Amino acid sequence: MSYDRPYNNRRRNRDDYERREVYETPEQKLRTAIIRLGEVDVVQEIPRVVKQIREQAAGSVPAISEGFRIGVTEQPYKIPYYANLLRLLHDPAEGEPEPSTSGSPSLGKQILEDFWKGFQAFLDKLSWRETRLCIHFFAHLTMAKVITVQSMSSLLQSFVAVLDEFGVSHGRAKRAGLCAAEGLMIAGKTLKEESVTNVTDIIDAIQTYIESTASSKRLVQPVALFHANLDSLENADELLESALAVLKALNSADFSESVDSYPQPYADLPDLPDGAAAFELPSVLVPPEIIELDGLSADTGEEAQVKKEEWPEYYIRLFENEVTPNPVSPAGYAVRSALLDIVEIFEVNRKECARLLLEYPKWTLPGTFKPRPGTPAELQPEPVPGKNWQLESALMEIVLGALFVLPQSTYKAIYYIGLITEICKLSPSTVGPAVGKSIRKLYASLADGLDVEIGRRFAEWFAIHMSNFGFQWVWKEWVSDLSLSHNHPKRGFARRAVEFEIRLAYFERIAKTLPEAFQAEGASVLPEHAPGPDFEYDEPSNPYHNAAQSVLNLLKGRAKADDVLAHLESLKTAIGETADGDVNVDAVGRSVAVQSLLNIGSRSFSHFLNAIERYLPVLRSLAQGGPEAKTDILTAVSLFWKRNRQMIAIVFDKLMQYQIVDPTDVVGWTFTNGVGNERGSSEGSSVINAHDWDLLKGALDKANGRVLVARRRVTALRKEEDDTRARAKASGGGDVASMEVDAEIKPDEPESAVLTTAVKAFTSLTSQQKSTLARALEGFITCLGSASSDGQAGPVAPDVVTEKAWHNRANWTDEEWNTWETWGWYRHFCRAYSPYLRNYSTTLGTVSLNKLEGSTDPAALQIMKIWNVATGEEA
Amino acid sequence: MAHVVQSLDQPSNYKDSQARVDRQKQNELLAKSSTLYVGNLSFYTTEEQIYEVFTKCGSPEDGGGVKRIIMGLDRNTRTPCGFCFVEYYTHAEALASMRYISGTKLDERIIRCDLDLGYKDGRQFGRGRSGGQVRDEHRQDYDPGRGGWGAQAQRAEIERRREVEERYADANGMAAGGGGDWKEINAPPTEQTLKRGRSPEDDASGARQGQRARMDEPDPEAERM
Repeated sequence: MSYDRPYNNRRRNRDDYERREVYETPEQKLRTAIIRLGEVDVVQEIPRVVKQIREQAAGSVPAISEGFRIGVTEQPYKIPYYANLLRLLHDPAEGEPEPSTSGSPSLGKQILEDFWKGFQAFLDKLSWRETRLCIHFFAHLTMAKVITVQSMSSLLQSFVAVLDEFGVSHGRAKRAGLCAAEGLMIAGKTLKEESVTNVTDIIDAIQTYIESTASSKRLVQPVALFHANLDSLENADELLESALAVLKALNSADFSESVDSYPQPYADLPDLPDGAAAFELPSVLVPPEIIELDGLSADTGEEAQVKKEEWPEYYIRLFENEVTPNPVSPAGYAVRSALLDIVEIFEVNRKECARLLLEYPKWTLPGTFKPRPGTPAELQPEPVPGKNWQLESALMEIVLGALFVLPQSTYKAIYYIGLITEICKLSPSTVGPAVGKSIRKLYASLADGLDVEIGRRFAEWFAIHMSNFGFQWVWKEWVSDLSLSHNHPKRGFARRAVEFEIRLAYFERIAKTLPEAFQAEGASVLPEHAPGPDFEYDEPSNPYHNAAQSVLNLLKGRAKADDVLAHLESLKTAIGETADGDVNVDAVGRSVAVQSLLNIGSRSFSHFLNAIERYLPVLRSLAQGGPEAKTDILTAVSLFWKRNRQMIAIVFDKLMQYQIVDPTDVVGWTFTNGVGNERGSSEGSSVINAHDWDLLKGALDKANGRVLVARRRVTALRKEEDDTRARAKASGGGDVASMEVDAEIKPDEPESAVLTTAVKAFTSLTSQQKSTLARALEGFITCLGSASSDGQAGPVAPDVVTEKAWHNRANWTDEEWNTWETWGWYRHFCRAYSPYLRNYSTTLGTVSLNKLEGSTDPAALQIMKIWNVATGEEA
Repeated sequence: MAHVVQSLDQPSNYKDSQARVDRQKQNELLAKSSTLYVGNLSFYTTEEQIYEVFTKCGSPEDGGGVKRIIMGLDRNTRTPCGFCFVEYYTHAEALASMRYISGTKLDERIIRCDLDLGYKDGRQFGRGRSGGQVRDEHRQDYDPGRGGWGAQAQRAEIERRREVEERYADANGMAAGGGGDWKEINAPPTEQTLKRGRSPEDDASGARQGQRARMDEPDPEAERM
């Protein structure tokens, strides 16, 4: 774009002017040389870098080892070459005497000693990824005979020991297990030569641990088969289990396959020179997790620390083993975990991440990936049987796999989505087809039990991806699926995807991308009109048309809140007098007032904020009148914005923010009234669909977020006051007597008013959090548990979770699919909010689940089972 | 982790020439800013579209979310002129947007985000001589998403354009706060003003009248490039 140029030039000049020239010290240059190793041709560069390091080594060992540390933990694909480099630094320099005669340790050994300190620091902080990657490095160094086999074996044992700790958390066990497993994959050959039992001990310990997690696996498997107790799935693999399978495979052939999985550039180097002893890794203890005790407990007395990543980690498969690396094969695991590490490490810069992912093949053994199209035949490596994978498909499978990890991905979904966009931008012609195939594969799996939350993320990715690539999708190929029942997951996906696309663009833009069949009214994919407000009282025929107009006029004229309230009172009286039959004048008043307020704020999000901020006193007054008043307000919002569900979520969020309604109100409303939106009526059994889930999630997150903020505030204030006290105590110094007096008085000094208020707020918010969670649990039980007394549960609730029903799903009607989806959201609720539910499991369980106790009904049993797993009562 | 690559969440070298604080203070503010400047928007992009994208970086479970969006307007015509401010509740969310959203497309244009010192009433207006953004003064090509050569728009955009042109006719440069921290409802009446949920800086100024007067003659350099 030409207009960018003059502007950018000007800017660049100014930037140059402001940015000082960066001078690197010789030490920094050395560090940089190590970090940049292999940017052109690693094998050629190694001797040059060895030389450079030797020339400047004097006094620079810490800088050199820092270079290694950064290289190993931030560019793990270079680890084998770093091992090679360090091995060469163990040789005496030209003209230097043999170590046996000089007596001083080799440069390589000095670096390794310093490197070890860095490893110890990572371990002390429990920086698991860095720790694991250092272990990779050590394992390669063991293969290069730089580190003793015995000490490497002990190091891995220390990590295996974590699996046996009493009450070890899943996250900790998983990460420690992976450290041991991956170290063994790389160095297993020499370790096994040294001791067979050490190797089998590691494998057995991981196996035993995995066996203890059978139940929790079922809550996070990406395919939801409620009837089945499957230990393994066809198209998804659990990370630690994959590692175990790989270890077993490697072990059965005495780790001879390792050499086909990991580059070993050092393999042909001779043994360490005479007199140079191999390095003994000191023994370590994996430090326990730090539990912060801030003295703020939920009412059960348990700590409300929110721990994530406490679940088995499933990665979905989209392609065949011939196309993408098989995660349970040694070579496949090595490639996948290396790519996953790149995705995680380079989260700070998705553009660089995309570039590195596409360049990854150059770090692998030749023949791992198919050559890029256009590579001259003479440069193409011999394809390796069992490998020769497609890079782009592998990248899609891995990035999408990371995006779809349940209950939540490591980073925000938008990171993975943006990363895929960047990969596509770098190589559109090769990545484009892989994206298309992935979408088709995921779409097909919607019919076979793809988890509802993954379905939601899929639609989100699809819409954002399309919005970055001109909304070009061949919808035509899905036309035949329009004959499926309305709430079949495939049709639900099409509706959601189009809805999200419209939110990101605008109605006409998306309409023209859809074929005729999708635009047709019966397809119910595209709404009839562009999303917009729907002011119920606009129609002159509406009995309250005039009343609403009078309120609107006051609001448009910026009348004072008091005047508006007075007018509303008089309107209610008038309506009460003239209405025929039973009219709830309060409800009518609320609906007229709220819809009128939304109407003056309907032009944009800011207009809405302005409108409600101006009339907060009116809203507060309307909200007084118990839960019914809140329900009326929320219903009025949902009616006014029934053609724009994005706005319903936005308005609900802000009504909670301004404390007009509480999260509990929104949760309650969603279960009782929320279902009307997509199905057009609130008749029939109560179910939760994806849109309802968005509202529930909004409310639950709001309640949880408030507790977190309040907790942080109390902690900060306490610390501040402690510090003040300590300072006061210290400055009182000198006179011993006075200090003693101080010491007696200070602890009894009452906390400040600010702190008291903060603690009170924390207490209120904690109880709100609890009631919000309780309301949600109760809502789900009412939807699904046929034992409930009020009969809101669908008659099909127990049936859809049986095996027989599932195999008959081709004949399911909307009712079955709705119930199945509700089950899915219940499962997701339990696993996603499990850290919070655990805190209140006793009280919540007693209140809500009591009525299901002793029931033999399959639905009741399923509800209990999912709950028990999520709250940790069943492992 | 930024030894090997530069993190995308670093603020640019932009310096707000109108800000009345020195460079060091500006850097301190940026280091905890929860506000983004968003540029290269189409003139037709709505706040709801912006909300939809930026809510992806929201962390309501950490007490975050989109606090408010302030559309940048041409100070003469009161129509969007291609930039906006997005304010979150937390700094981390603004950083996440820099990493994940800046440089991706919204409404089929690549948008650019930058950490901002924080919105002040009046900054929503363009600083260009014509009333729009300064950068549009330098533009020499045809850009349908930004009003063509000047006033012409593509046929397909006409409907959106009409809606947009009317939408902000009432803009007075005073932005809503978006709702503040949770407060005990039965708090003493002295907290009444806080309960309106405005931003602290809005409350602190306390000079509504003064601001309004200033609004009538908007700061000619109020926005940023």
